[in-house]
Amino acid sequence: MVVDPIGGTVNHRHLLPEEIDQLLDDEEGFGVAPLRAHLEQCSQCQEQLSALATVVSRLDSLPHLTPAPRFTDRVMSQVQVFEPWHVAAKNSVSRFMPQSSFGKAFVGATGGVMAVTMSLMAVWLGRRADAVLFLSNLVAERSRNAVASLVVETAQTLFGASAASAVREGGMLVMVGGSVALGAAVLAVAFGVKAVATAGRRRRA
Amino acid sequence: MAPILDLKNLPDADLVSLAQEGREAAYRELIRRYERPVFSLIFRMVRDREISEDLAQDTFIKVLNHIDRYRPEFKLSSWLFKIANNVAIDHLRKRQIDTVSMDGSPHASSAAEIEATQLEIAAQQETALEELEAKEIGSAIERAIAALRPEYRSCIMLRHVEGRSYEEIAAMLDLPLGTVKTYIHRARHQLREALDDTR
Repeated sequence: MVVDPIGGTVNHRHLLPEEIDQLLDDEEGFGVAPLRAHLEQCSQCQEQLSALATVVSRLDSLPHLTPAPRFTDRVMSQVQVFEPWHVAAKNSVSRFMPQSSFGKAFVGATGGVMAVTMSLMAVWLGRRADAVLFLSNLVAERSRNAVASLVVETAQTLFGASAASAVREGGMLVMVGGSVALGAAVLAVAFGVKAVATAGRRRRA
Repeated sequence: MAPILDLKNLPDADLVSLAQEGREAAYRELIRRYERPVFSLIFRMVRDREISEDLAQDTFIKVLNHIDRYRPEFKLSSWLFKIANNVAIDHLRKRQIDTVSMDGSPHASSAAEIEATQLEIAAQQETALEELEAKEIGSAIERAIAALRPEYRSCIMLRHVEGRSYEEIAAMLDLPLGTVKTYIHRARHQLREALDDTR
């Protein structure tokens, strides 16, 4: 007896192809029980299912085939193994890590102490913002003076005392302009030398 | 030094993660794990050992060179089989070798359309290599599979040799679920008829 798709019950037909497939695939659930019930009574459907089950069984037992030896090597010769930067960095760090548990504990403890010390320093500096500001201003002033004297000395060496006094009188703007011009001149000379050397190589070749 | 892992027992997703970190051993384990299924699928599609090896090689190269694009919500094996099927189908389209159409396009709705979409039997003498291969996989079922349309072949292989569900096959081959069911149904019936004829 077969449950008709529209809801009634029919026993006047054989199983449909998709119903045979459902049984072949061992599907479970609502609707399969009436198909099995029909099968018990219908030798024609039994024969059809049995023939297809034989095909399915032979398909299921097909073996995997093996490619030639060294297949993996041939594939790998054309695969680009890419190591991301973060993995490379991690590996580089781990290369310097000691292997023994004592060594690891020592490195860990040292790192911990350093981290705590730096945190405490950061907190202390945060609480002494005025001192930090004073120190940073002092460092900036010293750096500025050092650069200015270097530029003046360079101007004096290259162009004489008048250039040095002009730079000194011109203040920061002239110093920056002079530094840029000097840098550009150095670069131009460097590229010029390189171009001459390259042309010489080409001629020899 | 990185700890030594037993790669053979790792799930695919973990192996892929290791491969994405640049571990060559993980690449090799993935190839070792899937070389036979991929090669088998392709070989049963194109029926030529040398070509099958080249196509299987192409499949792995395509997948492994883009391993960084792998999305873990899909099975790696599904991706591999999808690429393997595509390279095999592309090859068959280019060569149109060894293909026998039993009933034209499965989408054909009229007799004229069926006739128009039928592929012709490649009128070729079997070469010595093909004879050798025929002996190698020369069972009646293998010969019957070889006579199926390529689309049916890949569906039936994935269903019965690889044990994939209809839904997985539909996703792998970019086919509607109903089409996959139809292909497998027709393939089973054609195989049954072919095997009946050999008795």
